[in-house]
Amino acid sequence: MPTSASASGPIQPQSSAETSSSLQSRPIPEDLIGRLSSSTVPYEIKVKALRDLKNQIIGNRTKKLSFLKLGAVPCVVSILSSATTSTAASRGNLDSIIIQSAAVIGSFACGFDAGVEAVLQAGALQILLRLISYPNEKVVDAGARSLKLIYQSKLAPKFDFFKDQNMEFLLSLLNCDNENVTGLGASVITHSCQTSMEQRALGDAGVITKLINLLGGSLIQRDSSLESLAAILKENSEVILKFVGPENGRALNVVIELTMDKYPRTRLLACMCLIVIRNALPSYLQDLQIKTKLVLILLELLDDPGQVGEEAPFALSSLIAGKEDLQKLAFQENVIDKLCNHLEKGSLQAKCLQGIFLALADLCSRLESCRTRLLSLKGLHFINHAMTHDSAEVRAAACICLRNISRSVENLSAGTFMKESVMNPLVQLLCDTSTSVQVAALGAISNIVVDFMVQKTTFIQCGGLKQLVELSKSMDSTLRMNAVWALRNLIFLVNDRCKEAILLELTQSTITSLICDPEAFVQEQALALVRNLVDGSTDCIKHVFAEDFSLLDTVIRQIQSASKAEVLIQGMYVLTNVASGNELHKEAVMNLLFPTPPGGPQSIIFKFLQSNDSRLRTSAAWTLVNLTLPSSSGAFSRVSKLRKVGIVSQLKNIINDPCLDVKLRARTALGQVMTFGDGSP
Amino acid sequence: MPVRVTESSMPSQVFGENPGNTTLPPCTLLSVGQAFSGTQNVSSLQKDEAWRVNVRILGCDLDHGYLCGTMEALNVPMADTPVVTFWEGEIVDTKNYTFFTNKWGATSDDDIKHWTKFPSFSRLRSQVEIDGGKSLDLSNYPYIFMRWKEQYFVNVGTDCGLTIAGFYYVCFSCSDGSISGFYYDPNSSPFQKLELKSINEGRSGFSFSSYELQ
Repeated sequence: MPTSASASGPIQPQSSAETSSSLQSRPIPEDLIGRLSSSTVPYEIKVKALRDLKNQIIGNRTKKLSFLKLGAVPCVVSILSSATTSTAASRGNLDSIIIQSAAVIGSFACGFDAGVEAVLQAGALQILLRLISYPNEKVVDAGARSLKLIYQSKLAPKFDFFKDQNMEFLLSLLNCDNENVTGLGASVITHSCQTSMEQRALGDAGVITKLINLLGGSLIQRDSSLESLAAILKENSEVILKFVGPENGRALNVVIELTMDKYPRTRLLACMCLIVIRNALPSYLQDLQIKTKLVLILLELLDDPGQVGEEAPFALSSLIAGKEDLQKLAFQENVIDKLCNHLEKGSLQAKCLQGIFLALADLCSRLESCRTRLLSLKGLHFINHAMTHDSAEVRAAACICLRNISRSVENLSAGTFMKESVMNPLVQLLCDTSTSVQVAALGAISNIVVDFMVQKTTFIQCGGLKQLVELSKSMDSTLRMNAVWALRNLIFLVNDRCKEAILLELTQSTITSLICDPEAFVQEQALALVRNLVDGSTDCIKHVFAEDFSLLDTVIRQIQSASKAEVLIQGMYVLTNVASGNELHKEAVMNLLFPTPPGGPQSIIFKFLQSNDSRLRTSAAWTLVNLTLPSSSGAFSRVSKLRKVGIVSQLKNIINDPCLDVKLRARTALGQVMTFGDGSP
Repeated sequence: MPVRVTESSMPSQVFGENPGNTTLPPCTLLSVGQAFSGTQNVSSLQKDEAWRVNVRILGCDLDHGYLCGTMEALNVPMADTPVVTFWEGEIVDTKNYTFFTNKWGATSDDDIKHWTKFPSFSRLRSQVEIDGGKSLDLSNYPYIFMRWKEQYFVNVGTDCGLTIAGFYYVCFSCSDGSISGFYYDPNSSPFQKLELKSINEGRSGFSFSSYELQ
């Protein structure tokens, strides 16, 4: 945080600045602005006014906002601009004004987006950048600090590394002796380096070497260098090899050393740098000792009361996400217990809560042991509580955590989640103002409604079905897809009465339009829903014949036009399930798949039997198994028709299929066809 | 009538070059939602007895060699209602699990004794005796061997007078979905046989439902 009452002193911790300023009597804001705007007040008064303003706004968002509304930012930027171009006053006096106004601008930008916006709008960025080449070191310092605070905001413009002399300018920052200037250089990289092309260009320009050297510098240089190294190395194995390769991995060892630094922020940043390396190049940092160390350091950093404690769970999450070995390791190190202890303590900042739920979600993403442990530690209670938190990020993270725990089939079977205490707040979140919360809630609901305990009515009674149907018509394709996914899981293994209730709410016409949705994933889920609808008792098959065969016609049209294997597979299982019904059902499928007399265009099923996707070949073979079942009365005539269109040779092609499932179904189908003779007259 | 799959074409694939690293390929008849029905013979010296049994597959994670579902025993003498249990299965894929149980009170001798009761195990036996089958590649074998362990009672309390202390050695036929099993519990009658067939709830053919977890 900037800054103390002294003109050019180092950045002070907020608390000391607050204490010193609270002892002084504070000028009225309007008076301050008046003094700053006046062109007649002597420079000493102006410097004092700037200093007063700075002291009032440090660490105080409310003050920042009220001064912002009074137009303080453009006023201060204008003072800075005049001071940098003026020749009227002495250089010393002008420099004092520049230093103070730069510090005020930095204060407005510090952790306050509205401030950053105002600072950028007033054109401060270019003026501050010019300060870096000033002869007066204190001016350079003030400019660099202010710029660094601006570049910490997402609102700051990206620095274009490829433009004109920008790379040279960046290198000159990194080469500077002033630690605030090198820190600024590193912050610019952290903020702006996003593409692999930028990462490569920075590596080629020698930036990585500079940053490695800065790792041995002051605290500011070390921290900002670690942060920008993480940005340059992120998901780029080619650049990482340039970092870890030279001098027998000296740079990597330096970063490993820094994970044991005495400053918590340095430890955190060093861990984050190593995580970036490991995530892109899993062959590095495979040693159990280093993996364990990373987990333990991040756990310990959770106790940090400040920003480090808030960021530590995010780093932990990124370390273990998608990596079962690390999840197992974290479980063995009691990470779940420790995270729950933090939740138990309560009064956590929203960001910290979000991070903890995301880390717990990652831990529970694959391992049943983790889910069981979290549930035994009141995990559901914490999640329930967080689902009504003020912060949308916390609500979404809680839902993501619930989604991952509810991957436990054992708990789904025990009805652990299908309780009003869980379902009521969860269903409420389907109407959340934040789309990401809605999507996260849909994710959890999709899993929970699989429920095998015939308690699906609990969900319907909570109003969940109505909401899902509503969201399945959303303009947002992600919401639509997740809603249909949940409906598909909801209709899995339900009784006929429940199916009727779902169908009544959802309607045939909505299902039809979902099957024809522009998004292939929505089509796939909608077809899977119909597949589940026609499973179970034979009576359910009637639904696809209702309204003049509308659903069945739509399914066959989609099968004929879609290209994505997953869509085709679900479509073929709809036909398989319908073909497992009575004669009327089998004949309908037969007519849809083989509508033309022999000699006409080849049936689509032949294409599927030759598909590269074994799952599609299997589904097609199952349809044929059901159509040729010898015990059904119309089998003979269907087999005769199938023979005429060349089914025997098609099946013979796959009776030695490399996929066992395809091979067995093809043999069954062929055997059934042969039951009626070999086709000779 | 299904075509008879000749077993003689299998051995070269069974003893493949890449054992222990591959999970078993999916088999549609052993997928979620599939239901099976049959009996468990619980005869003792005193009397002949068999319970009707229904099984449904609820979860399947081939990467982890995991399968689970429910088992419903219908005419259990001391229970007023059918007794439903939730079970979890270990699939012998030689990657996650071998033929040796190494727990639940079963020695490797017990394992061999039980597996040997399945005719389809005979061609694997000699290798299993050496290393539990670790070096076998079962990915193209038309039978899937599993152990099913009941975890809890779904609809009755633990005071129902029944036990789920033991576990089942199970052999599943990928061709027709038939299941054979033997219950193992040192404190119960030995070799209680479980026999199940794939059922289709009055349909004239096979039907498949599905869900997908996020």
